[in-house]
Amino acid sequence: MDTLTQLVSGFSVALSPENLLFVFVGVLAGTIIGILPGLGPMTAIALMIPIAFGMDPTTAIIMLAGVYYGAVFGGSTSSILLNAPGIAGTVATSFDGYPMARDGRAGKALAVAAIASFVGGTVGVVGLMLIAPTLSKVAVSFGPAEYFGLMVLGLTAVVSLAGKNVTKGLISAVVGVIIALVGIDSATGTLRFTFDRPELYEGIDFLIVALGVFALAEVFVLLSRRGHGGAQGGVTSLRLSKREVRAMTPSALRGSVLGFFTGVLPGAGATVASFLSYSTEKRIASDGDTFGSGNIKGVAAPEAGNNGAAIGSFVPLLTLGVPGSGTTAILLGALLVLGVQPGPMMLEQHPGVFWGVVASMYIGSIVLLILNLPLIPLFAKVLNTPKAVLLPLVVVFCVMGVYGLSFSVFDLWLLIGFGVLGFLMRANSFPAAPLILGLILGGLMERNMRQALQISGGDWSVFVTQPIPAVLLGLAAASLLPTVIGLIRRRRERADREREVPAA
Amino acid sequence: MSGTRARARAVPAVFAASALVLAGCGAEGASDSGEWSPQQPIEITAPADTGGGWDTLARTSSRIMEDAGLVDQSVQVVNKPGGGGAIGWSYIANNAGDPHKLFVTSPPILFVPLAGESDYDHSDFTPISRLATEYMTYLVPADSPMDTFDDLVGELEDDPGAVSVAGGSAPGSMDHVALAGAADAAGVDAGELNYVAFDGGGEATTALLGGHVDAAVSGAGESMELIEAGEVKALAVSAPERVGVLPDVPTLTELGVDFTFDIWRGVMGPPDMSQEEISYYESVFAEMMEQDSWKEESSKLGWTDTYQDSAEFEAFLDEKHTEFVDILDEVGLQ
Amino acid sequence: MTEFRFSHRTIAVAIAGFALVYLLGAYHLPDFVAVDVPVQPATLPRGLGYLLLGLAAMLYFQRAEQAEEGTATGETATEQPAEADEVGLGRLRDTRLELAVFLVAACLYVALFAVAGFVLATAAYIASAVWYLGYPRHLVTVLTSVTIPLAAYIGMSEGLGVSLPNGPLPF
Repeated sequence: MDTLTQLVSGFSVALSPENLLFVFVGVLAGTIIGILPGLGPMTAIALMIPIAFGMDPTTAIIMLAGVYYGAVFGGSTSSILLNAPGIAGTVATSFDGYPMARDGRAGKALAVAAIASFVGGTVGVVGLMLIAPTLSKVAVSFGPAEYFGLMVLGLTAVVSLAGKNVTKGLISAVVGVIIALVGIDSATGTLRFTFDRPELYEGIDFLIVALGVFALAEVFVLLSRRGHGGAQGGVTSLRLSKREVRAMTPSALRGSVLGFFTGVLPGAGATVASFLSYSTEKRIASDGDTFGSGNIKGVAAPEAGNNGAAIGSFVPLLTLGVPGSGTTAILLGALLVLGVQPGPMMLEQHPGVFWGVVASMYIGSIVLLILNLPLIPLFAKVLNTPKAVLLPLVVVFCVMGVYGLSFSVFDLWLLIGFGVLGFLMRANSFPAAPLILGLILGGLMERNMRQALQISGGDWSVFVTQPIPAVLLGLAAASLLPTVIGLIRRRRERADREREVPAA
Repeated sequence: MSGTRARARAVPAVFAASALVLAGCGAEGASDSGEWSPQQPIEITAPADTGGGWDTLARTSSRIMEDAGLVDQSVQVVNKPGGGGAIGWSYIANNAGDPHKLFVTSPPILFVPLAGESDYDHSDFTPISRLATEYMTYLVPADSPMDTFDDLVGELEDDPGAVSVAGGSAPGSMDHVALAGAADAAGVDAGELNYVAFDGGGEATTALLGGHVDAAVSGAGESMELIEAGEVKALAVSAPERVGVLPDVPTLTELGVDFTFDIWRGVMGPPDMSQEEISYYESVFAEMMEQDSWKEESSKLGWTDTYQDSAEFEAFLDEKHTEFVDILDEVGLQ
Repeated sequence: MTEFRFSHRTIAVAIAGFALVYLLGAYHLPDFVAVDVPVQPATLPRGLGYLLLGLAAMLYFQRAEQAEEGTATGETATEQPAEADEVGLGRLRDTRLELAVFLVAACLYVALFAVAGFVLATAAYIASAVWYLGYPRHLVTVLTSVTIPLAAYIGMSEGLGVSLPNGPLPF
């Protein structure tokens, strides 16, 4: 009951005209920046901080939080329309969102993304409100060994993302991990594969790779097909049939919950969450094999996941004062300067701020939905642009986004290089999704493994004697079983067939 | 970056033209009167992404300087991320003699070159002012059997490898040196420490809160709330005297461990700045630190104001450099 | 696209070559001895190198399966017949050359990006690429190539405070 009273008082804070206005300003700015490929919530928040300084702390936090989940919300638009992920968290959305747009269902894909985002955000806020204090214990219960288990479990999704040819999928994934290992090794400070280029010391930004192998490669593919087969304009209906709503609802709900809990873990975040949601859904959906060719469940799950995670990452931030990601680290910095010290005492010292933020998130989610749904036909019209104009513009947007990320021309060369790599991969049926998965999870897996072993003094048994890592690794092994059995069976069948052919 | 080089080429032309106009009006550039003032917008480079510590410092300073009208020109913040600072430093070094390009800095300008990851080190730049300092805290979980720094030292003496200590930077960098230096001063073999490198202080503190490591080193600003809330115990702080935000935490020197560690923050300029240019900026930054808005923000971030002018700052940097080389030597990293 | 399709054997050899170079690099990584670390920085790279080598070998002995075309994730089976070429982009008959031209254009754009500044480089790139791809309405081309870079520049530098290279232009 206490929660309810608090929430009501929170709403009275959030519903003041000034706060309403800034929720609106925040989510609008966030959506726009999220749509621009490359620029993500981190840049968005950093750039809004000067505006926030003159404000009342609660209003400022409400606005900055709005920028954050607004960007996560908006990032899906360019993933779906241009295959150019707006932010890292929406890469998985393009796996099915862009194929939907190619089939002339761009409007539907955007609508599914918007609704799933709303569901993810709402589930996240409910979770944040009800169990945040309890969850702070869960958040810190994950140490290096536990994260290692989680990353391994995530990596097993490679086999399900690989398509028909598992060998090619694995090669992609290995290349992804190889890219992830470029840069200063954080465990020892050793330089790995940097070729004495200071630009590579901090590693290769994930978004450069994603924009290259998805967006630029797609431009090359379309050119080689003389402009045929890209995303179709024209049909921009966003109305979903009853069947579609029924199909996406469970996926969105599962994605939201999984995303929220992943977001709560300070070492994971929205990107990991969207991949976990996507690959989990692909495994359990009855039509999982059509994922990757425009299944609406494949849009709903990662979108619900990344929005749930964005809200989930406020749990460690607000209840412990520890940032779970680059974005929340910036938010933490802003809060400190505004005089609000998030942490275990925040609920007692600044209950108004905490509940005001929670309530504003409900409002923000609704604002985002009513802001975005009417805009969908407008966004989808982008695809009516003639290909001769659209393709160069996609290149320009990718270049602009990457430059805005790092201010480095070197990274632009990398972008083009990954575009060529992505094109060659497409031409030879190497799937790009495992590469991205290896890139995100591979580096995290190595780092956590080494931290865990450093703590244990080199004793590998930490991964099986602790309950959480043991369960996660067990799940990982179990999730590989069907694939392995399937492979063996297929091989045997083929051998049988071949034996029968000459006999006949 | 060649773009900025191109701009640098274009700028003198514009500058020369405007100087001509000014000269025509009799308002000649101030150089012969012994004073100097900027003739074009001042650029403060943060050699990192938007949003990090350097970026915060650069944007805070630029805002306060502009708001308080300390400079006639506008102050722009430029981000040059990459290489742990190396990209930004080489950008500044390539702008030798351009007194409008400053950058914000902190201990990595000593550590990154020591690790062989930057072609430029502190001696390649012109120190302008040291502004503020934050100190390191040595933390253990609330339920740890260790209650004092002596307990920690005792454990470390028994078996240095058995106590895992988390920090937010790679071995040989800030957090590790703050730990190794204190251990060394307390008589523990710093080379035997089980230091676990995390990606940033936030991750290290999280690992400590979850009990995954036995101890951690972390900046006072990051940990003060957790200390206050009783989630972690602070065994010591690396300051020369007790810190305002953590009045109950003893300093290392109080405990008989002769070691201090500053996470200082300051401003530097490109190589070859003239004395007039240095004095101009010294007074601007000194004035900036007098502003209420600076005092308010710096205390919220857990910083202590420790202004030093150019000469003091330079001596300080050299002294710290020697000290760090010794510590790294002790650990076996140099 | 088919011009860029290689046999499994060719690809396998290329990947194996890359794996060998990578392994060489991995074996040149120094061991970290200053502090006792259970896993060396080179351990995982070496493992990955061998894994990649093994996978390349598996690919080498694999028969090309036509069935796998376009069914991998992220790829749909919407290959369209190339004959329906009413709005076919570009000018050269050979797709390989056509792509090479486009790639060179993109490289030129990047090379000029910092030197000429965002606005000029982008305007030149959009105008030439759109013209080359055969868009017939030249007035629209000119308008697009002027307004988009300007709007983007102003939006980024004024609205977001992200400074793009300005080149010789005075703003």
